Amino acid sequence: MNSLMGKILKVNLSNGSISRNDTPTEWVELYTGQKGLGSRILMEDVNPKTDPFSPENKVVLTTSVMGGTIVSCSSKLAITTKSPLSGTITDGSVGGHTGAELKYTGYDAVDITGRAGGLSYLYITDEKVEIRDAAFLKGLGTFDVDARLKEEVGDEELKVLAIGPAGENLVPYSCISSEKYRQLGRGGIAAVMGSKNLKAIAIRGKLDVSVNDLQGLLKYSKEVTVRDEVIATDNEIYDLGTSCLVDYSQESGLLPTNNFQEGTFEEAEKINGQSFKDVRKNKKGCFSCGIACGNYVVDGAASVEGPEYESIVLGGSSLGVGNREKVIEFNSVCDDLGLDTISAGGTIAYMMEATQKGIHDFGIRFGDAEAAIEMLTKIAYKDGIGAEAAMGSKALSEKYGGEEFAIQVKGLELPGYDPRGSWSMGIAYVSAPRGGCHMSAYPIAEEAWGELDPFTFEGKGKLVADMQNSQFCKFSMGVCDFWPIDDETLGRLFELTYGGEWPADRVYKTGERVFNLQRMFNIMAGFDRTEDKLPGRFHKELLKAGPPKDIAYTKEAFDKAMDEYYAYRGWDERGRPTVEKLEELGIEPKFIEAYKTVL
Amino acid sequence: MPLKFDLSKCTGCKLCQLACSASHYQVFNPEKARLKMIHEYNDDGIRIASKSCILCKKCEKVCPVGAITNNGRWMIVDEDKCIGCGTCVDNCPTRIIFLNNDKSTICDLCGGDPQCIEWCPKGVISLRERKGVKA
Repeated sequence: MNSLMGKILKVNLSNGSISRNDTPTEWVELYTGQKGLGSRILMEDVNPKTDPFSPENKVVLTTSVMGGTIVSCSSKLAITTKSPLSGTITDGSVGGHTGAELKYTGYDAVDITGRAGGLSYLYITDEKVEIRDAAFLKGLGTFDVDARLKEEVGDEELKVLAIGPAGENLVPYSCISSEKYRQLGRGGIAAVMGSKNLKAIAIRGKLDVSVNDLQGLLKYSKEVTVRDEVIATDNEIYDLGTSCLVDYSQESGLLPTNNFQEGTFEEAEKINGQSFKDVRKNKKGCFSCGIACGNYVVDGAASVEGPEYESIVLGGSSLGVGNREKVIEFNSVCDDLGLDTISAGGTIAYMMEATQKGIHDFGIRFGDAEAAIEMLTKIAYKDGIGAEAAMGSKALSEKYGGEEFAIQVKGLELPGYDPRGSWSMGIAYVSAPRGGCHMSAYPIAEEAWGELDPFTFEGKGKLVADMQNSQFCKFSMGVCDFWPIDDETLGRLFELTYGGEWPADRVYKTGERVFNLQRMFNIMAGFDRTEDKLPGRFHKELLKAGPPKDIAYTKEAFDKAMDEYYAYRGWDERGRPTVEKLEELGIEPKFIEAYKTVL
Repeated sequence: MPLKFDLSKCTGCKLCQLACSASHYQVFNPEKARLKMIHEYNDDGIRIASKSCILCKKCEKVCPVGAITNNGRWMIVDEDKCIGCGTCVDNCPTRIIFLNNDKSTICDLCGGDPQCIEWCPKGVISLRERKGVKA
């Protein structure tokens, strides 16, 4: 007995076929769940060169082995696909209760392919799976979709993954919303759903989840969550949520301001953690989470769950906006339209700077919160100038110029940390498989906010790679980022839920395997080191305040750090995993054979 | 004695319901919990509510076969007597009783050591002490 549900649901929207297959044990042993399992399922039959909007691309939902159990922070849901924004493999995860709900339907994963004839939603319960007509949901925002589907199905406990108008209109950075304010944000997975005519996935499960060793799990899980202060009410992440980071970034001089032109923001105090706490109505936690970082805030006419740090930066300081209510509104409008706050904010910031510099007049300027919020609707509907903005900052800069201040990597707009203030973040940004993202590694916690020197690359290639490997296993086994769990504890929890022997080195190796599998996909899609680069701004311009003031972040030093990173990973000088490395990691031979053909 | 809730502290994590199902059925399934926390968005913001046995003993009164009794601290279901008719379910004012494998299922405070209280990370749940009765 273990916590695997044992089935993968396979849905082909083109011909309406629905089948249930056993979850291959060897996939779980190699890739565990969520990120890893999703990547493995995608790799099975999606050609990395596939057009993201073709019916052949997949949308893969994955739960985790610990999902639905009492292990804290363990019930996220991941979705994997080929991104229409970056062209890389991408996977995102969402908290809330939807991941556990899917697990209780009896499926470890849902593998969706094809394209429905008309707008549809997928209804999944432990008793039935149906592709249903969604014409009545056409054009609706995600908040309405959630409410209408609960009404339609007649179940308040229904969990809904919905795309908004942005996803329907194939905006390449559209996001999926669930439970109103929980977002699976990055890389445009909602647009892939839109291309499949899939408006929503509605989930309700009532099955049991059993574990390998219940008494052992109850005892150990309690012990380590207390030890690691996951269950505590006096920690900052509970008190303020991720908005606590605004002060840290400001003090470290790396708070993106006016499209990363500056690293400190005059009005930071108006949008910091305390400011949002002042308008907090309730705390909100995800399923099985002892932390509860979520905050429901109401300010004037605006309300949202959040705003999370990244949304505060990309919808606030990076737009020159220090207005709390407007930041909340920006966030909420994005959630309802189904737009990624980071990419939407990053793209609008590029447009503001292009206008400021006279490169192209987009009619939008730093500090103009109203115009930024209006732009969101134009983007979602591809209305007028919004059709251009919907391309994202990379494509816009290729058309109009200013590529050095299109703040993205591989087309994915950067989150809220200027790498000039914490040098390793640059390595993490360019090496993250899905593009400019802060989730593959978070070395800033050790550097700018920790003990390490943030202004040297010495030893940082190894630091980032080690962090990524552990993170990739953590996100495959299903634990949320906010539990700073070590490999040994993670492995022990996996043993108690799933079984087998999972010492720390196996956990680390599993993460490394998943990381390399994703890199293989990208290499086969046509990427290599050439695309592992930061926007020119970071190497050419100096920050003028705070700790990073006047410290050069040179391209030469960065390239050398990347040489070290690739070497530590066992990749060649072009950033490609060597065949020997892949064999050492136990990647399946059929993938290695396919990979060899592109080397 | 019934459970009492400080709803202002609840975050909606459902660890209480998971602990409940593990305690009684050795599985994790919030549907099988003998208490229920509601924490969801509605038009007015967030609705937070709890459902649990309030020890009103109505189930005991309506049970047609005398399967339900109490010890002054929690309700007791005699599964050998219970015929799974659902009369208790239909008459429960808090709608918290349910049938599991055709047997009436009511909070028994885990035999005096309620696991929901043990597992709640935010101290939401406690026991409502009654005059002259100690846990």
